[in-house]
Amino acid sequence: MIIPIRCFTCGKVISNIYEVYQSRVERGEEPKEVLDDLDIERYCCRRMLLAHQDLIDELMEY
Amino acid sequence: MNIEIREMQERKAKLILSDANPTLANALRRVLIADIPSLAIETVEFHLGTIGDEAEEKEYQSSTPLFDEIIAHRLGMIPIPTDLDLFNFREECEECGGEGCPNCTVIYSLNKKGPCTVYSGDLIPVGETDLGVVDDLIPIVKLSDDQAILIYAIAELGTAKEHAKWQSTSGVGYKYYPEISIDSDKCDNCKDCIDICPVDILEESEDGEIIVSDIEKCKICKSCVETCAVGAIDVKGREDKLILRYETDGTLDAETILQKGLEILQEKFNSVIEMVEDIE
Repeated sequence: MIIPIRCFTCGKVISNIYEVYQSRVERGEEPKEVLDDLDIERYCCRRMLLAHQDLIDELMEY
Repeated sequence: MNIEIREMQERKAKLILSDANPTLANALRRVLIADIPSLAIETVEFHLGTIGDEAEEKEYQSSTPLFDEIIAHRLGMIPIPTDLDLFNFREECEECGGEGCPNCTVIYSLNKKGPCTVYSGDLIPVGETDLGVVDDLIPIVKLSDDQAILIYAIAELGTAKEHAKWQSTSGVGYKYYPEISIDSDKCDNCKDCIDICPVDILEESEDGEIIVSDIEKCKICKSCVETCAVGAIDVKGREDKLILRYETDGTLDAETILQKGLEILQEKFNSVIEMVEDIE
């Protein structure tokens, strides 16, 4: 769906960097490097971005 | 308990608690998580039906890809800068008695027409201009061609005891202060401990002895103790000295949170003392 605003586990706001993360990964950077650079330290927050599937664009058609 | 500030950034802090114990550190941790008041959106009013645009002579639908409830929930999670000296809890507000006034609530408006992504930065405070949200780039919802959104949202003070949206800290945790002792008489200089340390804090000094570079990084995993064949290294965690770390989401800065947290902890301890005195 759409990126959750905060990390489910610890509550850190992670959605504000989602679009930066997404564009940098699409440009071919390693997700690990991008997450380290954006100061996403804990693995609970890292999985929020790593495992996210953005489905809202597909849903918009209906 | 003595608190030594090791690192104090706007959104991140690291403290050394000495002359303390885990019970006291946990009390502080729980206060930092659940008792610090902050602002968050609590009430959301949606405009339902068509939203007209006179200039364009076009009508937009107020339905969006997400349910209104989900949008309301997402709005609630957005951090809002808080000045604790200016705001009262709504139900305790003496000015308005809970009706809602500038001393206890902040009203935001959100008005956007598709196609676009609605961001937290589109939330505009009504009246007070210095209370814009902390992060402008949080996506709230996406709108397609003939969709629009018109919302009034009311933020008020609360604590994370009631709902996690009022939680202004994250990753609050403490660990024992590590202590590494190396017996140089036993050590055979095999350097296995240097290789195995996951945080790379063990290194060889100029005169060939194993030394610790940054003790506070140690996770007390004891990999070095296990790998040492001659038993020359020992790692312990001190119970009277602890390292407490936390982050904030920007509603309040790390220093204000610590001050407020200690204030609340003091009040709690005082109320226990009073209750005990009442028994006698």
